[in-house]
Amino acid sequence: METPPGTSVARVELVDFRCYESTHLDLPSGVTVISGDNGEGKTSILEAVVWCALGRSFRGVPDAALVRAGQEEAVVRTFISAPERSRKIEVGLRRTGRNKILLDGKAVPRLRDLIGALRVTVFAPDDLALIKGGPAGRRTFIDELLTTINPRFSGVRADYEKVVRHRNALLRAGGRVNSQSDEGATLEVFNQQLVATGSELLEGRLQLLNQIFPEVQLAYRELAIEPVVLEADYVCDWATSGPNETGLSQTLTREELAKTMRAALSALAGRERERGTTLVGPHRDEWALTLAGLESRSQASQGEQRTLALALRLASHRAVAAAFGQEPVLVLDDVFSELDEYRSAALVERLAAPQTLISTAGPLPFGVEVAARVCVANATARVQ
Amino acid sequence: MQTLIDELGRLPGIGPKSAQRIAYYLLKSPAEDANRLAGSITEAKARVTWCQRCFSIAEGELCAYCQDDRRDSTSLCVVEEPRDIVAIERTHEFNGRYHVLQGAISPIEGIGPEQLRVKELLRRVESEEVKEVILATNPNIEGEATAMYLGRLLTPLGIKVTRLASGLPVGGDLEYADEVTLGRAFEGRREVEA
Repeated sequence: METPPGTSVARVELVDFRCYESTHLDLPSGVTVISGDNGEGKTSILEAVVWCALGRSFRGVPDAALVRAGQEEAVVRTFISAPERSRKIEVGLRRTGRNKILLDGKAVPRLRDLIGALRVTVFAPDDLALIKGGPAGRRTFIDELLTTINPRFSGVRADYEKVVRHRNALLRAGGRVNSQSDEGATLEVFNQQLVATGSELLEGRLQLLNQIFPEVQLAYRELAIEPVVLEADYVCDWATSGPNETGLSQTLTREELAKTMRAALSALAGRERERGTTLVGPHRDEWALTLAGLESRSQASQGEQRTLALALRLASHRAVAAAFGQEPVLVLDDVFSELDEYRSAALVERLAAPQTLISTAGPLPFGVEVAARVCVANATARVQ
Repeated sequence: MQTLIDELGRLPGIGPKSAQRIAYYLLKSPAEDANRLAGSITEAKARVTWCQRCFSIAEGELCAYCQDDRRDSTSLCVVEEPRDIVAIERTHEFNGRYHVLQGAISPIEGIGPEQLRVKELLRRVESEEVKEVILATNPNIEGEATAMYLGRLLTPLGIKVTRLASGLPVGGDLEYADEVTLGRAFEGRREVEA
């Protein structure tokens, strides 16, 4: 792995985080390997660093689960060294009540103001679910990449989700809230908002997919043992008009997308009332990936699915690096145990970042130049 | 003691720990202090009512703004809560009348137009000499939905309906504006007057 200059985590401090009472690590640039037996807290260190980047655990657990047993608050401090300036993120995770986040000593009122201070790409065993799981995981993958590259979309996404919840409540109540006389005027207002925020989110997703799909194809070819044709289709089941009925052409403008949504809303109005839920909009969409014409979710082998999941992560890493002119910190959580030798070597060869943090219980693939080794045992972590 | 803590904890912005701290503070303070607080709550609750015209808080039939003859009755500013009036008054930019909706449309919380003072607003627009309605609801989903709803009702009545602009905070640096605000400011950009 090459190590171009860029942002890296110089130091991380944990207090009452998971199994750690109090520990700190000074990390070099290049590759740091965290090793130790299972259950000793290798992943917890990665989890703490990633929290400072994403504002949540990448393992999908609630913040309260990160606080050491018997304690009220867990504290994580990361010191980030970057070419332009060094930064410090301090996070207080509370079992009850609001978390406290400080960036360079100043309180960060909203989580989204933290995003961008530290960028990471995480490869984790759960990534397989990106391919094997339902459409929601793939939508989240697209939306998270979208908000990383263009932070405006964090607001669009939050607004859209709120509108869908309001609209669902309205539909469940038969289109009127505690009212005898509302002739659909309130629903009409939320239709308008659904179209406005939904078409904006859709446009963002389609533009992003247009831009990164060639990267995904490239990454897949680099990692697969016998690459086949990889194709993708953005599917809107609700779309009743448009070029091919359910699929949306990826060159539609926001205005055209809004028109498609409005048409679908009137076509599906009856069914929405019947079901009491919003059936139209990007929260229902699927990004369908096919290998040699076969649906990757259900018809590809586990090995192919894993390769494709890695390709998605690698492509998103490159997309973020290209957008900011700087490679995110790479976090590989126990990835090699799931991969055969060929894919491990192929992955290692393609990954470039100023800093890579790897947790592993076994040996590393051949060719990895290690800058530091961290040994984890008995709830303490030490750089060797 | 627990009753007091529970009651305090029901107040907005007060969590269980704050409630406990306030309860202990009250118990430690002299009886007259605690009685004065209790008395002022009872008195305020008894004397303060809704203004019969604009539905802000008032100590009589009408609030201070509705009683003030110097204010311009042709322009009417619609807000969600009485505290929004205080914020607008601080600007000294507006000299018209107010109308308080007492909330915003929020189906999640079971609040529709009929739970708000919308009928009363329409009646005022029809019976008073209103020429312009300024929709000053909050710039969030619920506030925007409410403004949109009211806009659809009011525009056919042939009056001017306006919405407060969203944009950059004055006196701040562009660099520090968050993306959503800056994005809105771009959308609402104006031509420079020569």
